[in-house]
Amino acid sequence: MATAFKTVEPLEYYRRFLKENCRPDGRELGSITTADGSALVKLGNTTVICGIKAELAAPAVDSANKGYIVPNVELPSLCSTRFRSGPPGEEAQAASQFIADVIENSQMIAKEDLCIANGKLAWVLYCDIICLDYDGNILDASAFALLAALKNVQLPSVTINEETGLSEVNLKQKNPLIIRKHPVATSFAIFDDTLLIVDPTAEEEDLATGTVTIVTDDEDRLCSVHKPGGSPLTGAKLQDCITRAITRHKEVKKLIDKVIKSIKPK
Amino acid sequence: MAEEEEEKMAAAGGGCCLRPFSCEQGLLSRPDGSAAFLQGDTSVLAGLYGPAEVKGSKELPDRAALEVLLRPKVGLPGVVERSREQLLRQTCEAVLLGALHPRTAVTLVLQVLSDAGSLLSCCLNAACMGLLDAGLPLSSLFCGVTCALDPNGAIVLDPTTRQEQEARAVLTFAIDSTERKVLTATTKGSCSVEEMQQCLVAAQRAADTIFQFYRDSVRRKYSKS
Amino acid sequence: MKATPLSNCERRFILRAIEERKRLDGRQCYDYRNVRISFGADYGCCIVELGKTRILAQVSCELVPPKPNRPTEGILFFNLELSPMAAPGFEPGRQPELLVKLNRLIERCLRNSKCIDTESLCVVAGEKVWQIRLDLHLLNHDGNIIDAASIAGIVALCHFRRPDVSVQGEEVTVYTPEERDPVPLSIHHMPICVSFAFFQQGTYLLVDPSEREESVMDGLLVIAMNKHREICTIQSSGGIMLVKDQVLRCSKITAVKVAEITDLIQKALENDQKVRKEGGKFGFAESIPNQKITAFKMESATVDTNNVEEQAEEIITKADPPSEVFAKPILHTPGTAQIGEGMENSWGDLEESEKEEAVEEEGESEVTAFECEKIETEDTSTMRETKDEPIVLSDSEEEEVVILEPQELPKKTRTQTSSKQETTSKKAFNKRRKKKRAAH
Repeated sequence: MATAFKTVEPLEYYRRFLKENCRPDGRELGSITTADGSALVKLGNTTVICGIKAELAAPAVDSANKGYIVPNVELPSLCSTRFRSGPPGEEAQAASQFIADVIENSQMIAKEDLCIANGKLAWVLYCDIICLDYDGNILDASAFALLAALKNVQLPSVTINEETGLSEVNLKQKNPLIIRKHPVATSFAIFDDTLLIVDPTAEEEDLATGTVTIVTDDEDRLCSVHKPGGSPLTGAKLQDCITRAITRHKEVKKLIDKVIKSIKPK
Repeated sequence: MAEEEEEKMAAAGGGCCLRPFSCEQGLLSRPDGSAAFLQGDTSVLAGLYGPAEVKGSKELPDRAALEVLLRPKVGLPGVVERSREQLLRQTCEAVLLGALHPRTAVTLVLQVLSDAGSLLSCCLNAACMGLLDAGLPLSSLFCGVTCALDPNGAIVLDPTTRQEQEARAVLTFAIDSTERKVLTATTKGSCSVEEMQQCLVAAQRAADTIFQFYRDSVRRKYSKS
Repeated sequence: MKATPLSNCERRFILRAIEERKRLDGRQCYDYRNVRISFGADYGCCIVELGKTRILAQVSCELVPPKPNRPTEGILFFNLELSPMAAPGFEPGRQPELLVKLNRLIERCLRNSKCIDTESLCVVAGEKVWQIRLDLHLLNHDGNIIDAASIAGIVALCHFRRPDVSVQGEEVTVYTPEERDPVPLSIHHMPICVSFAFFQQGTYLLVDPSEREESVMDGLLVIAMNKHREICTIQSSGGIMLVKDQVLRCSKITAVKVAEITDLIQKALENDQKVRKEGGKFGFAESIPNQKITAFKMESATVDTNNVEEQAEEIITKADPPSEVFAKPILHTPGTAQIGEGMENSWGDLEESEKEEAVEEEGESEVTAFECEKIETEDTSTMRETKDEPIVLSDSEEEEVVILEPQELPKKTRTQTSSKQETTSKKAFNKRRKKKRAAH
């Protein structure tokens, strides 16, 4: 009934709600949460914001019990003079692919958890990662923002009405997403073929002769070793990077836990 | 046929075996350098133009501007190809002595001819042979090696598509020819630090075989002059 | 990259040769270049070489809903790409006029000739049909792309096998090649294009023009025909007037050439099928000639992976163990915390306001905002001071820690004390820099 009313008289539908000082999705007037989960991360000047939007869709035929996660990294022209407006450039596309790989490799979210009804209904998580200020090390910041935002996602419970076959969304009852792994990326710039610098700025990235990004999870397993060309490194040097990345993972994990804990009581 | 080969590999000792390699250089008439590289049934064709005149916006004052294009066999290049192009370009840039040809453009086009596993390493090998065939100055050579970790944790070198699908993790390295250092690394799936280091050592050993193959192909090419 | 234009003397040379009924590659006027067909390991994949012109073709299929106006017909999709590899003038992402023209011709040759039975591609009427997609990639351009493309296209379509399907009620089952043998497409006939180049307003005629000849020709006539001598499409371009006899003569030549090529295609297809049946070797690796000195083959090689574990272990043990000292997160407000010492960034640097960052933080209380300044930010800021200051360049706790000014900081605990020192020195430096700027 309500949906029919909404379709026929969308404006009136909204007015009724607003009269009661609330909005159709259950929020009170005044708050501006537009995403299901979000986070802002700053690494020095590099600022990245991640918003997670959840939508419902039918799962793919060949993986009926799985939902979707669609990450996208945007490097708009406002974040640095090096980017132009228009379709995403190589760096943005490579970063999107990297984030998609991290999600896939680490299995941070079991896609089965996103399924509501087998073959019928599943969640699609659109993870939009937007860079607001570009000062290097975009991969670390993006991966971190994604993780923090996912930790913060609250999905409403959805049930399928047996009789009608329609889905019912219960906005009152929200559940956090189960995050199975916490992948954290740590990037290094290689200077003059020998020197390793952790967390490089844009200036350093430009001057560097190569970059390495290591992603580790809670059990110190490697989710990604991403070294796209650049100066050659020995296995021992790579090991040093990994060691540093493991320490870094613990630091970041602590930070996330603390923040998540701090907003829970509310 | 693929099954037979796998059986053969298993018999040869734990899958630490490279598939048959072949390479043909200079097979295209238009590009300045070209090479087809085959690893088993995986094959990639590389065509290279340059150093040539560069378009204004791409010009670099101190070195040659390298562009790498990866063309899939079906459909148009997407995000996966873009990210691989970046990886391949930065790998080639690391060995190409571009400073010897400032204000020029070098275009390397890689066309996937067939994918039967270890595609990225085949792209790397084709790219290096293409650079060699074009006679561009290089500081060292590089080769691509893909390692897969099967469910039991054993290392499989140069895996086929099926071995890649079954694997827990697939790691691809580009190894340089001077000191067997890692130029490029990329992984799929997750593995422990020890496993990664083991794969790297195995890849470095496989690189010796591949560089010998490079050397033999080039020697054969220049055998009549 | 720019295409090299043809010089006037080259143009005159080629035209003069044609007038003397000579061609640069030594062919006669009506000679076709050698056609070589090689198949890939996958079904529906082939490379066709016409002289030095080389085209890769791949056919793929997918189950899709049919077009509403043709619910019982499968969908065909053809796409020819001029890869930037083929010639220096071809640029990625651009559709030159030539490409549009070629694609339209392929469409007319393969679709409008109704050589593929589209009704046999229907699985469930109005719901599911096969979409057959043909991708053609020009790898090397040495003239007469259209003939090579039409041969490659039809060969790939004939070679292709789609998965078998069965329909039971509403359930559609697609079988893998292991379960059921894939089925070939039903192809009625094989249309093949033959090109004729005209020079001097139609006085001279050449079959199968090369790239150089194409660049000096006045007009082009393309005839697509099958072996039953049925013309499937005919197109004259370049704005030359042809007499009726000339067109007739061309169609007669076409009939001969098409018969030859069809024979060759059938032989190649039969040969490939025989090899596959007998379990022999097939795929591109087999098509590389052994005797060429530019080609080299290596048999499957074993790589010794003994004591790989030991060697890996050695690297790991030699490296420093992960540090046990972590930075403690500092909580600002609920939802906002940071690690690392440096609260500063250079956002307010230009305005020379030092306290600005503090204000910045409060702004983002709405969503969970994280402040994450890492310990490593110190490294970065020191970088800028390289000009005149002894610097501390540290990259984590490995031996690479380059300390130009030997400080007494113990290796593993480079957190609180040392970073404070750095920050103070940096502040002093910043002030100095500001003074400098003011002086300018």
